[in-house]
Amino acid sequence: MRPRPPAMRTKKRYILVRIIPSGATVDQKQLYLSVIEAATSLFGDAAVGLAQPAAVYCDEGYAVIRCRRGTERDIAAALATVTAVGDDRVSLRTVATSGTIRALRRRMKPIRPRPEEGEMVVGGTVYAVCRYPGQKVDLIEKGIKHQKRFFFSELDLEER
Amino acid sequence: MKITDARIFPYPAGDSTVARMAIEAGELGFDSLVAIGDVGHQSFQGVEILQGTIITAQSIREVLRDLRDPAVRRADVVYVDAGDLPFNRALASINEVNVISKIHTTRQNAFDHVAARTAAERGVAVEISLAPLINLRGVKRQRALNRYADILALHRRYGFMLTISSAARSILDQRSVREIRGLCELFGMTGAEVNEALSSVGRIIEPFSPVGVVR
Repeated sequence: MRPRPPAMRTKKRYILVRIIPSGATVDQKQLYLSVIEAATSLFGDAAVGLAQPAAVYCDEGYAVIRCRRGTERDIAAALATVTAVGDDRVSLRTVATSGTIRALRRRMKPIRPRPEEGEMVVGGTVYAVCRYPGQKVDLIEKGIKHQKRFFFSELDLEER
Repeated sequence: MKITDARIFPYPAGDSTVARMAIEAGELGFDSLVAIGDVGHQSFQGVEILQGTIITAQSIREVLRDLRDPAVRRADVVYVDAGDLPFNRALASINEVNVISKIHTTRQNAFDHVAARTAAERGVAVEISLAPLINLRGVKRQRALNRYADILALHRRYGFMLTISSAARSILDQRSVREIRGLCELFGMTGAEVNEALSSVGRIIEPFSPVGVVR
């Protein structure tokens, strides 16, 4: 089948979002389902059907959501209402909107934890300490799945 | 003009400390935060922390009693949860009350034109919390959107102040200024109105007053 001429194709927009908390592993299909659920509950089937949102990339703490041109503001508002992907609590923070994925890739700056590791006890539970740039410290409950998280800063650890 | 998140609940009420929430707020485009609890006056990475307190009462007598509490007097911003129509009308006339909160949980006619006019005269603000728009689904969110649209219509007519808060208990609940604009567009708020509402906490703390002559 011959592809449509460029002038006849639907124009797309790509939204780059950062997945919070850093280090959370998110499945692309689960992310797509969460975005569709959030957008459908906010704008209804008709509007979401026209917007055609889809998750086209999900890795290294970032995701790219595709939608039809002209609907990117609505989809960005819907992304702000996403509170969980699968069973994990996450937040999607819009970073930029562009007409190409290539332009968005330039905006992706992977956030990796600093190498220092440690442990900390909060309320009788042992937490692994993950330090991130910007004096951010995540305390992750030691376990296999659905670990509880606390969000501290270097200053809070010094005070303890 | 300071852009302020009008209400957050840091650790131990939530899972994020006030310092971490301030760092995140700075990245999200805020200049200051109102933290509920005994946090004192602090500043983290250029983000000012103001102290807020919430009064939840069934009657005006209880509100007046709680307002005399030293812990409440220490707070920079005093929030009182809204109730029925006579309660809200009375709240709007108390100078010590800064913000009427949880308006989305009240009935449609619980904040009327009389309360709106009184609130405008006394400098009492009404809070728009984003938590119901983010966390609720279905009929409950539709009701919240309807209430906020009604409050916005009264605000445009009578000119009382609005505040916008994330009511965040975690950094995962905090939203950027751009996202807040997108969410407020859902009930018809314009970008200029959002900017004005985000900066209204500064006007609550330091209200406009006539220029005094210094001799």
